[in-house]
Amino acid sequence: MTHAAGPASAGAAPAPRAPAARRVLAEVVESARLPGEHHRLTLRAGEVAHTAAPGQFLHIWCHPPEEVQQPPSAAILRRPYSISRLRPPDGVEVLLRVRGIGGRLLARKEVGERLDVIGPLGRGFQIPEPPASVAIIAGGIGVAPVPFLVEALVARGLRVILLVGAREDGALPFTVARRPGRRAALPELEALGAEVSFVSEAADGVLVSDLLAARLGELERARAVLYAVGPRAMLKRLVAVTEGCLPLQVSLEERMACGVGACRSCVVPARGGGYRTVCREGPVFWAEEIDWERLDP
Amino acid sequence: MSAPDLTVRIGAMVMKNPVMVASGVFGYGDEFAGLADYGELGALVLKTITREPRPGNPPACRTVETPAGMVNAIGLENVGLEAFVRDKLPLALRWGTNVIASIAGDTPQEFAHCAAALDATDVAALEVNISCPNVKQGGMAFGVDPGASARVVAAVRAATRKPVIAKLTPNVTDITAIAAACEEAGAEALSLVNTFSAMVIDVETRRPVLAADAGGLSGPAIRPAAVLRTYQVARAVRVPVIGMGGIWSAADALEFIIAGASAVAVGAALYADPTAAHRVLAGVRDYLERHGLASLTDLVGAVSGRRGPA
Repeated sequence: MTHAAGPASAGAAPAPRAPAARRVLAEVVESARLPGEHHRLTLRAGEVAHTAAPGQFLHIWCHPPEEVQQPPSAAILRRPYSISRLRPPDGVEVLLRVRGIGGRLLARKEVGERLDVIGPLGRGFQIPEPPASVAIIAGGIGVAPVPFLVEALVARGLRVILLVGAREDGALPFTVARRPGRRAALPELEALGAEVSFVSEAADGVLVSDLLAARLGELERARAVLYAVGPRAMLKRLVAVTEGCLPLQVSLEERMACGVGACRSCVVPARGGGYRTVCREGPVFWAEEIDWERLDP
Repeated sequence: MSAPDLTVRIGAMVMKNPVMVASGVFGYGDEFAGLADYGELGALVLKTITREPRPGNPPACRTVETPAGMVNAIGLENVGLEAFVRDKLPLALRWGTNVIASIAGDTPQEFAHCAAALDATDVAALEVNISCPNVKQGGMAFGVDPGASARVVAAVRAATRKPVIAKLTPNVTDITAIAAACEEAGAEALSLVNTFSAMVIDVETRRPVLAADAGGLSGPAIRPAAVLRTYQVARAVRVPVIGMGGIWSAADALEFIIAGASAVAVGAALYADPTAAHRVLAGVRDYLERHGLASLTDLVGAVSGRRGPA
């Protein structure tokens, strides 16, 4: 059940074996509206926070915890959310889109309410040993797990280049600072220690894959490790741009039911045939583990 | 008063209580490790396997949530008989309770092949999945026809000494005819219902949401329909009936038992609450005590309508 080994050039440590999932009652300690239709919940999650790794997710019951004992008429399934950031000593942040029944229910949670949470689930990002440089390419709400990843990479002393793209500024769960004559900035992500570039399709007419293409030579010379999170169309473009010349880890999303690898709902096509579960074998994969031709957009 | 007797017997299989986990939901038994002690349950029915591995339906998407339910079209993705016996079954057996293998195939011979191979293992019983609605050339063709159902059950019966449970589809005109045919062919118990065939359409794209177009509806939405079929089948056969379909709480399970089920299985509720089956078990035990019943069997089929007109 170990994660398939990545390319030797990655110099990456083996991914940690997914620990047994825990189920906790997590208290909401912050519930904040964010730019666009986004929301941030900070949960006091005890052991879940202590064992979480960047790229892992929480499976959240959207109704009050005691209502798990009676069938709800809507949102009978949990919802998966990436862990966006740790808030020591025992807090975890999730960023959500206030859309769909699950997101709307969770965005209404107030400080002091409790949530029935299972986690941390799935296999997260593999972190290379220094002195590799890394680049993270994120699109839209796919940026959700990036703060946790940036903090982990920066803590290892790695130089982190973060390229972020969105359809429009409001499609991002972070503040976009635009001043005349200067590049758009994402102050919250810059504060984590990453070198951030941001483009929105609407304002800049540029895709984040274009940003990557422009810096590919530099990244190749630095033998950088790449991480990508975002919509599948973006991931497919990145795979095409990099052509396998740099080790690339991608985080995938898919509809889930069980979240633990039992129901086989969330599978993606694997290179060489068959399928992999996003919830248990992912959500982070090496790009070469995925059959990009067969992966639906 | 002493604790009520919850024991259920299905052929040679003795269950310490009537609460099971339904096939498909629980994977191969290892995935939910850490979330509850599933050894406390009466039996665990594992994901259906076939003689050869199957990739299942295309992804994107295989499962979609619906009002009080979900529609799935996984397509019997499974590791195949050999890998199941070698890699999966030993892990499931570690729970220390009855493990029931669910088998499917394209022909009665394929079912029998799996049954014969599993006869040499420590599975407690075999569930014959003649009703999975997701494989175009597979189980559905058997489960909707009494003769075909009986041929599969008879083939399995002849290939194993383990108790044989036939899992019935509700997508038929008269489920009691299928039930009677399976009983006649040697099934020691019947489990019902499998999912109701269903479709969800994305109105913007005007395409079915599921990659397989159609799938099977499960969850609380189907419970009343499943209770009725349990009631009908329990009246039509002498073998024990295992009731399932949207069981979320003990009250739900008690409906099935009072309708005639000797045991119950929890399915989709496990996704929301990994301890749903444990809750059901505790609630059933509590109900028997509150009503002064010494044994679960005193409650099976106790619905007043079953005793004929007043």
